[in-house]
Amino acid sequence: MSGPVPSLDRLPGEPRYWYAGLAVLLVAWPLLFGAFWARIGLGALMWIGLAQSWNMIGGYAGYLDFGHGAYFGIGAFAAAVAMAQFGYPFLVGFGLAILVSTVVAYLVAVPTLRLTGAYFAIATWAFAESIKQAALVTGITGGTFGLSLPRSPETFIGVPVPFEIAETFFYYAMLVLCLATMALTYYLFERHEFGYRVKALRDDQDAAESLGIDTTRVKRQVYVLSCVVAAVFGSVHAWYIVYVHPNDVLAPIITDRMVIMALLGGLGTLTGPIAGGLLVFLLERLSSVFLGSTTFYLPLIGILIMVTVLFAPSGIIGILRGEVDRDDVRKNVKELGEKFDLL
Amino acid sequence: MVDLGLFTQIVINGLLLGGIYVTIGVGFSLAFGVLEVVDFAVGEYVMVGAFMGAVLAPLFGAEGVFAIPIVLVVFFGVGALIQPLIHHVTTGDRPHPLLMGLVFTFGLATFLRGSVLTIFGPNNQDVPSSLLTGGVTVPGVGTFPVVRTVTAVFGVTALLVFMYYLYRTRGGMAIRAIAEDRTNARLMGININRYQSIAYGAYAALTGSAGVFIGMIFTANPGMGLQYTAFAFFMVVLAGMGYLPGVILAGIVLGLTQSFTAVYISGNLVLLVLFAIIYVVLLVSPAGILGKGEWAT
Repeated sequence: MSGPVPSLDRLPGEPRYWYAGLAVLLVAWPLLFGAFWARIGLGALMWIGLAQSWNMIGGYAGYLDFGHGAYFGIGAFAAAVAMAQFGYPFLVGFGLAILVSTVVAYLVAVPTLRLTGAYFAIATWAFAESIKQAALVTGITGGTFGLSLPRSPETFIGVPVPFEIAETFFYYAMLVLCLATMALTYYLFERHEFGYRVKALRDDQDAAESLGIDTTRVKRQVYVLSCVVAAVFGSVHAWYIVYVHPNDVLAPIITDRMVIMALLGGLGTLTGPIAGGLLVFLLERLSSVFLGSTTFYLPLIGILIMVTVLFAPSGIIGILRGEVDRDDVRKNVKELGEKFDLL
Repeated sequence: MVDLGLFTQIVINGLLLGGIYVTIGVGFSLAFGVLEVVDFAVGEYVMVGAFMGAVLAPLFGAEGVFAIPIVLVVFFGVGALIQPLIHHVTTGDRPHPLLMGLVFTFGLATFLRGSVLTIFGPNNQDVPSSLLTGGVTVPGVGTFPVVRTVTAVFGVTALLVFMYYLYRTRGGMAIRAIAEDRTNARLMGININRYQSIAYGAYAALTGSAGVFIGMIFTANPGMGLQYTAFAFFMVVLAGMGYLPGVILAGIVLGLTQSFTAVYISGNLVLLVLFAIIYVVLLVSPAGILGKGEWAT
């Protein structure tokens, strides 16, 4: 860390115009740019929200959950089953998504949170994969045929609503959910005592225990919370894409994206998933548009992760905040060179 | 009614498959012991090994076996050069070094998987072999498929050579010393960079060549890696952390579980069954099935 320290008395005042401008832009986005850009916008908002949900357990609590995508899929299928199999309106499916993901997350949390690090990561990954395999053979999820969701005006709350349920509607739905996720993260993890408990157990579990923190309880709370947030996004996504299939909504790439977004942006920060989410989402879209390859972004992202971890472990936000500067990188390169002294 | 002939055949297949899993599991837990990093790229080494087999086999008259020596050398070299990067990430004054190591290997895995997917596309590739076809039928017992038998023999041989190096040579002693205490090993004059690279290179070479055999038994696919990563972790959880004899038993259990699940339940549900086993093991006996490892934490 070096360079001039930003003076504190300049901080309030000016940025407020930015926030106001940003708020107006976010609200007016689909009205200004039309349905195509509304689709892009709602995709970005969903992924930022999902990256933040992963950041709760992965960044703030330090438990790398590589099965987080399962809850996205569970949410999607809860909504799909309620609407397609039982004919309930979307709101019931939404509630069911929250209920089912809470129960499943708690049952998974009890044994797997006994593990840490890679063992936790792989146990949750195996869980996600087994959920996918189960969804492919179960009748209620439509098995390999998937499920189609109805999308007429009365499927929202049971009685017809006076607006069209299309891109603009889903844009605002994702906007509300994404902002709610951000507000929740800010309040719980940056302001509330809960956040300090979570960070304490991440930094040193034994020390946290000795201070009277019930780490098992806190871990379970964070895990269930982050899983429910992912499921909520999943349920809206299912209704938006109208058709759900285990190979789509339960694909391992969903988890990978969340992890990568949070990581590149900066783990355990409020703004990291926003920066990382936007970057990865745009990179993926641009790679398929300009390079004609839908997979080329994967090796790029792999390299980005490795370089980030090697030279800027606090992510994009760390670089923007000035936590990592040129001297740090130079020192890192020198130390790395010494480790290649193999003969 | 259980068909006894089918039953013994499943046991044979499972045991032979277990032989190659043991190779992966032992290398994996050694890399963990020396570098203190749990390697997320383990399955991707298997995958890249299988693809190297698929690419090299046509050069040797469609014979995948001849690709093995090349895979061994290439993987050793690449592994030896990756090790300093992992070592760098997990040491020094950075926050959460172990988490960072994990994330680094995750990036490596994403890179390998994405590259192979971009270059070769999502389809299966065959690793052909004309030498290793057919099977030897032992009357009253069952058929031993040649490719699986050779694979198991290779796995066990590689394991024995590796163990000999580890327990009967000075280099192996250096590696074990590093696994015990890196700082003290360094104070005793061991070039820890060199021996860590040898250990990681040997692990990568073992895993990559196991990949060629797995490609010959099944097929090579860019998405296959994750499954073998899960298998490696499964073996280590089942064995009990840091307990090598347990890995051997766990590899055999894994091979048997896989072949029994595939026949009696469904080939698509193998991971579901494995997850159920991990779930129970963690709840009942966190130190592995033999109870001799460190607690799984």
